[in-house]
Amino acid sequence: MPDLRRDPIIGRWVIIAKERGKRPSDFVIEQEKTRGGFCPLCANNEHTTPPEVLAYGRPHYAPNAPGWTLRVVPNKFPALVIEGDLDKRGEGIYDNMNGIGAHEVIIETPRHDETLPAMSHQQVIQIFWAYRDRMLDLARDQRFRYIIIFKNFGRAAGASLEHSHSQLIALPIVPHLIQEEIEGCLRYFEYKERCVFCDIIRQERSQNIRIVCENNDFVAICPFAPRAPFEMWVMPKTHQSAYVSTSDSQFHSLTDLFLETVRRLNKALPKVPYNYMLHTAPLRDSALEHYHWHIEIMPKLTTVAGFEWGTGFYINPTPPEEAARFLREIRLDA
Amino acid sequence: MSVDKKKILVVDDEESIHLLYKEELEEEGYEVQSAMSGEDALKAFDTHQPDLVILDINMPGMDGIEVLRQMKQKRPGIPVILSSAYPEYKQDLASWASDDYIVKSFNLDDLKGSVKRHLSR
Repeated sequence: MPDLRRDPIIGRWVIIAKERGKRPSDFVIEQEKTRGGFCPLCANNEHTTPPEVLAYGRPHYAPNAPGWTLRVVPNKFPALVIEGDLDKRGEGIYDNMNGIGAHEVIIETPRHDETLPAMSHQQVIQIFWAYRDRMLDLARDQRFRYIIIFKNFGRAAGASLEHSHSQLIALPIVPHLIQEEIEGCLRYFEYKERCVFCDIIRQERSQNIRIVCENNDFVAICPFAPRAPFEMWVMPKTHQSAYVSTSDSQFHSLTDLFLETVRRLNKALPKVPYNYMLHTAPLRDSALEHYHWHIEIMPKLTTVAGFEWGTGFYINPTPPEEAARFLREIRLDA
Repeated sequence: MSVDKKKILVVDDEESIHLLYKEELEEEGYEVQSAMSGEDALKAFDTHQPDLVILDINMPGMDGIEVLRQMKQKRPGIPVILSSAYPEYKQDLASWASDDYIVKSFNLDDLKGSVKRHLSR
């Protein structure tokens, strides 16, 4: 019989179609052909992007030239623009404001064919540093309320360029989904005086059935009510609401754990398209007792269609206990 | 003394776009060539050696993004303006290889301004 499961944070229901019990080999992952040709994100094509706002690996006095190991540039054709006032206004019952925001692209490597699971610790820790550096810089802009960081990998997950990159969007509002998550955390906190994510981590570590991997500072789990097969959350073990509060030593642990997580995923489901999203506290709300920053990794193995759009329910053919076991039992050295 | 006209290659699978662009751009003093598909565009690109390309994204067969990659591979300095009916494609990072992105409209002021800007560089 299928299992109806309720997410303890926002109360979203999912249907775990247990009888389908899809294993990694049951999913057909369309292997994309390398498109090749000109790539604006590659080293030596720096002139084709807008001027960089951050670069690691080469001296500051030679911007927009080769030699970098990571680069951040504004979007060439942004949907939201950085200049101007918000000009919040109402038209009857409708609210609107000017499309002010920042949209940046984090070019994670100068090499076109280097994917995240194949990157070194040093390369990946730079990505996490860049997220923090850009968040701290953009947080000074009082117009912005929230910064979302995400990565799309593979065409099915929305990535049109093969070159490894993630994106950052600074918004003048807190997105509804994040607000819903924060309010869910607050409701739990008001009732139990504990952070719901800290409680999830405690319970998962004691049950040890949905843990994928962990180290001293971070843990990766398949959540109890996942929207997608092999969905994973990476969370700091100690309470921390804002990503920017991560210490240098924690960044090393995060890098180790995150790399292990994506390598396990890539070994179980080679080249699976996926998205990951970094959820953190809104800007200037940095020390929330009830909220816990985390990264959600969503492999793209199923299609969201009418039932999901119409109800907000998700149907997941892989129980998270089985997904976690597959991922945990992967031998990375084999 | 005759001055060599700048050559523009317009790539679009809609006949009406060719008629509109050709009339307006020729009035501005440009020589306009047309291609109705990505494959034809790449041939015309080699044959006519245009100074600028106006390129549709959504075309049957080879799409504009693929054509853009191949043109930029052949001649990195060639100005290419993407012209699409879909503003949301602007979010597609593959369009970054282009020099400008214009949403299709019957008012060609933006397009003509962009052409002028890129050809005067």
